[in-house]
Amino acid sequence: MNHSPGLVSRRSVGYKSLITFTVLLIAWLAGFSSRLFAVIRFESIIHEFDPWFNYRATGYMVQHGFYKFLNWFDERAWYPLGRIVGGTVYPGLMITSGCIHYILHTLNIPIHIRDICVFLAPIFSGLTSISTYLLTSELWSRGAGLFAASFIAIVPGYISRSVAGSYDNEGIAIFALQFTYFLWVRSLKTGSVFWSAGAALSYFYMVSAWGGYVFITNLIPLHVFVLLLMGRYSERILTSYSTFYILGLLLSMQIPFVGFQPIRTSEHMAALGIFVLLLIIAVLRHLQSVLSRSEYRKIYLFGVIAAAVIVFTGVVILTVLGVIAPWSGRFYSLWDTGYAKIHIPIIASVSEHQPTTWFSFFFDLHILACSFPVGIWYCIKNVNDERVFVILYAISAVYFAGVMVRLMLTLTPVVCILAGIAFSNLFEVFLKEDNNSNTFAHKTISYVEDHDDNSMEKKNLYDKAGKVKFRPKHDTLHETRSGIGSNLKSVIILAILMILMMFAVHCTWVTSNAYSSPSIVLAFHNNQDGSRNILDDFREAYYWLSQNTDDNARIMSWWDYGYQIAGMANRTTLVDNNTWNNSHIALVGKAMSSTEEKSYEIMTSLDVDYVLVIFGGVIGYSGDDINKFLWMVRIAEGEHPKDIKESDYFTDRGEFRIDSEGAPALLNCLMYKLSYYRFGELKLDYRGPAGYDRTRNAIIGNKDFELTYLEEAYTTEHWLVRIYRVKKPNEFNRPSLKLSERILTPTNYITKKNPKRRKGYIRSRPTVIKGKRTKKLQ
Amino acid sequence: MNVLRRTVLLGLLVLAGFLVFTAAQGKQKTGLSLSEKVRNLHDMNMKKALLRFNGQKFREYVKNAPRNYSVVVMLTALAPSRQCQICRHAHDEFTIVANSYRYSPTYSNKLFFAMVDFDEGSDVFQTLRINTAPVFMHFPAKGKPKGPDTMDIHRVGFAAEAIAKFVHERTDVQIRIFRPPNYSGTVAMITLVALVGGFLYIRRNNLEFLYNKQIWGAVALFFCFAMISGQMWNHIRGPPLVHKSKNGGVAYIHGSSQGQLVVETYIIMFLNAMIVLGMVLLTESGTQSDQKRGRIMAIAGLLLVVVFFSFLLSVFRSKAQGYPYSFLFK
Repeated sequence: MNHSPGLVSRRSVGYKSLITFTVLLIAWLAGFSSRLFAVIRFESIIHEFDPWFNYRATGYMVQHGFYKFLNWFDERAWYPLGRIVGGTVYPGLMITSGCIHYILHTLNIPIHIRDICVFLAPIFSGLTSISTYLLTSELWSRGAGLFAASFIAIVPGYISRSVAGSYDNEGIAIFALQFTYFLWVRSLKTGSVFWSAGAALSYFYMVSAWGGYVFITNLIPLHVFVLLLMGRYSERILTSYSTFYILGLLLSMQIPFVGFQPIRTSEHMAALGIFVLLLIIAVLRHLQSVLSRSEYRKIYLFGVIAAAVIVFTGVVILTVLGVIAPWSGRFYSLWDTGYAKIHIPIIASVSEHQPTTWFSFFFDLHILACSFPVGIWYCIKNVNDERVFVILYAISAVYFAGVMVRLMLTLTPVVCILAGIAFSNLFEVFLKEDNNSNTFAHKTISYVEDHDDNSMEKKNLYDKAGKVKFRPKHDTLHETRSGIGSNLKSVIILAILMILMMFAVHCTWVTSNAYSSPSIVLAFHNNQDGSRNILDDFREAYYWLSQNTDDNARIMSWWDYGYQIAGMANRTTLVDNNTWNNSHIALVGKAMSSTEEKSYEIMTSLDVDYVLVIFGGVIGYSGDDINKFLWMVRIAEGEHPKDIKESDYFTDRGEFRIDSEGAPALLNCLMYKLSYYRFGELKLDYRGPAGYDRTRNAIIGNKDFELTYLEEAYTTEHWLVRIYRVKKPNEFNRPSLKLSERILTPTNYITKKNPKRRKGYIRSRPTVIKGKRTKKLQ
Repeated sequence: MNVLRRTVLLGLLVLAGFLVFTAAQGKQKTGLSLSEKVRNLHDMNMKKALLRFNGQKFREYVKNAPRNYSVVVMLTALAPSRQCQICRHAHDEFTIVANSYRYSPTYSNKLFFAMVDFDEGSDVFQTLRINTAPVFMHFPAKGKPKGPDTMDIHRVGFAAEAIAKFVHERTDVQIRIFRPPNYSGTVAMITLVALVGGFLYIRRNNLEFLYNKQIWGAVALFFCFAMISGQMWNHIRGPPLVHKSKNGGVAYIHGSSQGQLVVETYIIMFLNAMIVLGMVLLTESGTQSDQKRGRIMAIAGLLLVVVFFSFLLSVFRSKAQGYPYSFLFK
């Protein structure tokens, strides 16, 4: 590519945009199609738990309109309290899919809202990769941007939250996050109000979509603060931050759920503090240009100290007075990592709030986890204003991801950016045709500036991810002679491309095996003939509920299934996945962990009509209610320490077991009885004993019991869901005795009647000896 | 004011004298009446929140019948010769509970905290048939202690909060734990700040090292390595250093994907660091003016990346059941 500047550069610009466009398009397509495993294997269905609520809310909005949705009071949840949905939800997701639905219908494309909901996250993954490309090209080079875009399209850490059917806030929020960061970096670079206003708008979208916006409102101030510490203050920072902060603050307060939080909670105070600090510094800078030096010194010292003291005491006093709320438990547990475990069992009980092992890091990021530190290294080495941002982003996100598995999601984009930078640097060295020996002088600039051959190799990478094709190596083979040597170069390129190919294969494998299960429909492979069986028990049970119960029937279940019952069966639930009322959940937990008699009192007080439990003992499904049971006990104990004690449910040796050695409190509690009712009679296979629980690999301890206050209403095919009807008081007060039990056998019956009041007693009654006569006859 | 102070002093003196007197009398008297007992206990509690009993006192105040108060007793062995490390921790925690109770508004004559050291009252251990320490027992106001009156420290531990919860379960007295504020963290922080500040002050004429990007880079990388190798998990869950495997050897790698061992995380950290080093070497090799040097760097970098990445992959593979891919070696 020896080119004379004028002509070829124009042509190379054309090539560059063509390549960029192609790579981004392919990334979008690859990202979209690798998220379709669940749809192809099962059907176009909403997954898991939270998506069901989002889907239901979206359906409501589409049906009744936006304002009705904002004022929606859902009386079918949290019976008898109800839930103000419009004020307790981030509406961005529903509005997004509602808008798409509206536009398509104005174009006369009759598509069901469910399909939009199912495919929303895969579509947005393409937008995410484009915004990642934009952000990375602002930070480093367009080549790195293409790398990053291809990475984020298929990386499992992001796919885990955005497969088709996983209709959740995170799916669109990561796009908003990346786009906000891109606009912020752009505005910081240019110092233009236009871009920072754009950043504020994008921030508004993020606030409307996900609670994780708090990450933005703390990261951007942190960035500004660090820039100030590094002595990199400039007018650009002042302009862009103050515009962004004011606009973003006003806009974010328009979301009903957020309301006045941005000026009243500690999570948002950092942004305010930095804003004030920035203004003070700007004023002092201005004074410096007006005043003489000695005067300025005094004022500077005084000003800084006074300002710091005033701001600090102000915040402390307001916090003490209760005007500013302290850190909420969820955020606080990120700093004090032991906090949630002790104080908030409901947070600790969720599996995605656990800390992260190295295994999960590697599982979700593969080679990116090992290579993104290289990106950090080069960002620090060639630091400038916007690279400070990406460094801070990486450091904070990696910390949060270490504390909570779920925050791996915020780490993933920045890892893709940094790994993109790392690989782009690497390929820049080895794919370059060095015609002259003084490459290194050239090279140092190339970190900052983009090169045309840089984006060239990007395309090859992408091809690598999809199908293995080693063409680029050929081009470089014959011309290189100085520097490292062509053979070595091609070996290195081959090795790196192999690793990247393994990354692509790994991503596909993980997506297919770990992240594509809808968890509503279960599939298992039969070992004998290798066929695939589908367990559709959940939908079977929910459909039964919707067809066979009264429209106003109230269903009690553990909170995990609340959204699904509301979404699929359309019945009233007591508790659901929006765990806002701990005491209500604790009441349900108490009912589940007390004896049948005691829980009947609770159930009548809550007007429960049906109880639904998930039982996996027949098929060996491990996520059932018995395995979750200890959390019910713990949460119940937190609110009712006198009635429920966790220690009662353990054996003397501190084990949790369901067989005959189990603790009596466990063997007689409602949850146990409902799970194992009639299970003692069931023989799963010919040789095995009756009542053998496959999940816990034990024979149950309490086999023979009858239910007094409830009766079995429905059990699904594989016993996965069991539904019981709560009897009305007149149904069990007259217990029906079996015929054989109605007759009392007067064996050692001693009457308490006075002998005088006995009737018909013959004093000297002749004793008849039976059998004597027949003997005589003989 | 003065008068008040004097009367208080006088009262204390009288009390002390009385205590000495009762202690001396104790041996002759066979049993104290209930009110005397309560008063004595109360007086003792005035001086110390945690009562220290020997065998004879234990029988007097805890074993013998007329009682309307419950006692939570820690049976322990604090003497250094007994080499009971946990006992010291347990003692600290128990003292915190006793103090929190003593100075709380719910303090009354219904509940006392006491301890018996093995070397002062081995007969107590014999009568209760206890041969381990520490043991926390609750002696209810009426009747003898039953099964659940002994705290199960294997399961709940003996943190002050756990003890308070146990006390609450057994006696319905709610104790809010007040730990004496732990200044060690603050002191460490202040010394650190002072050290750094002092260092900066001494080097104030030569602050270039603050602009040394290598140092900052190394710190940032170290932090990243620590996080992605799961040190935070170790911090929260506290796994063991290594496992003893079944056939007598030592396992450095936890078998399942749900857990990890401390040594394992260090290995992973090292592997990650080597891969990063390899990639940096590869990238830097292009900027070398010396051809030979560049070539060596490239080869070294390549080897580091490829070998350690395949090693990392094989460790990963050993933990993930059914993971099909490997690189170079299994």
